[in-house]
Amino acid sequence: MDCGKLDELGSVGMVESESHYPGGLQTIINLFQALPDEEKREALISYAEQAPKWAPKPGETFDLEDVRKDEECTDTVGVFLKVSPDQRTVFRVSLGPQVQTLTRAMASILCRGLDKALLQDVLEVPGDFVPKIIGADLVRARSHTVYYVLTRMKGIARVYLNRQRVTGNS
Amino acid sequence: MATTEYAHPEALVSTAWVAEHLHDPNIRIIESNEDVLLYDTGHIPGSVHVDWHKDLNDPVIRDYLSPEHFAGLARRIGITPETTLVFYGDKSNWWACYALWVFTLFGHKDLRIMNGGRDKWIAEGRELTKEKPNYPATDYPVPAKRNDQEIRAFFADTLQWSKERKPLIDVRSPGEFKGEITHMPEYPQEGVLRGGHVPGAKSVPWKTATNADSTFKPVDELRKIYQENLGFKPDDETVVYCRIGERSSHTWFVLTKLLGFNKVRNYDGSWTEWGNAVRAPIEKP
Repeated sequence: MDCGKLDELGSVGMVESESHYPGGLQTIINLFQALPDEEKREALISYAEQAPKWAPKPGETFDLEDVRKDEECTDTVGVFLKVSPDQRTVFRVSLGPQVQTLTRAMASILCRGLDKALLQDVLEVPGDFVPKIIGADLVRARSHTVYYVLTRMKGIARVYLNRQRVTGNS
Repeated sequence: MATTEYAHPEALVSTAWVAEHLHDPNIRIIESNEDVLLYDTGHIPGSVHVDWHKDLNDPVIRDYLSPEHFAGLARRIGITPETTLVFYGDKSNWWACYALWVFTLFGHKDLRIMNGGRDKWIAEGRELTKEKPNYPATDYPVPAKRNDQEIRAFFADTLQWSKERKPLIDVRSPGEFKGEITHMPEYPQEGVLRGGHVPGAKSVPWKTATNADSTFKPVDELRKIYQENLGFKPDDETVVYCRIGERSSHTWFVLTKLLGFNKVRNYDGSWTEWGNAVRAPIEKP
């Protein structure tokens, strides 16, 4: 399944939603929850294959960059954040070649789902969206690194907010 | 007199051999990975996927699948007891060896590993496909038993091995062996309360047996590692362990099929059982 089909079901930009997920992410969750397992896997593969599109582009500038290889990760993951004057976020993620498929998919989903989300909303995204997307079948102890990308995004968003507070800009 | 050939050379096939046998109806190629979606991204044409977690383990209790479920799996992937099974996968065939070991528990006879695994196949520019094959179901008979006693060690066996200082190999990373960390480097913590190793165990990380291209080291190098340097003997009963029995499946394959050790058992409870067991003895430098 192609991720582009998401747009047929509704904009992945910010939409009003009663849920606690930013609108774009909620749309993706809704789509996945409607899919049978096999199509869910196909959609995840499609997202994973699109992960390079969410890497920083040459010449692109960011407010914060955090590139590192953590001890519990198989490869380097870079998270890049740009924040607009109205506090909306743009995330880019770079992934080393050893990063697992599910993590690639999740990076792609989060970059798309949190695009133009409010900084504060990013900090409040609960991790319970992961099993809603990938299904209980794929949630295992060793797949828990799928939560890692969200943790890193929240981490860089928190650093940005703290710096704003320190400089009195918030 | 030492030979330059593996003890059971038939247990290992090359990528070229697999490429020549892609359409052989008597052969089934099986991919088994740690990366749960890797098969879906592209696999060897005609290969089937065996998910180490979902297909090979009991869904509720910590144990392997039952003989009935094994027969169900075998029927689903369209094999008979006579089919030659060739396993391959990511991480230097770590999970392929795990799958092969589980199939050994049920007595399937002709089990092989594709040397170099998925990495080598891709590095050689060989074909991958996303097309999933659909083989007619077979009537694979339910195995009479699971061969736990032959190739599997339990907590009590390992405790005895430790107390009697019998051959015991810890295949985890040096940091895990020393108790400095309780998870694999580059992996999440999987719930272990204590660090260290089973008293008497010698440390031989599983990957010591592999080359940079994911193939197995030549037999003389393997002999040097396990026999000459550490004194393990092919006739000794040996127990291997890691965290959940998967990395030690790789070492089990090396010792049993490549070096010809007669009796090697995999303690699949491994450190996630031992490191959580009340009063289990632990050695920590």
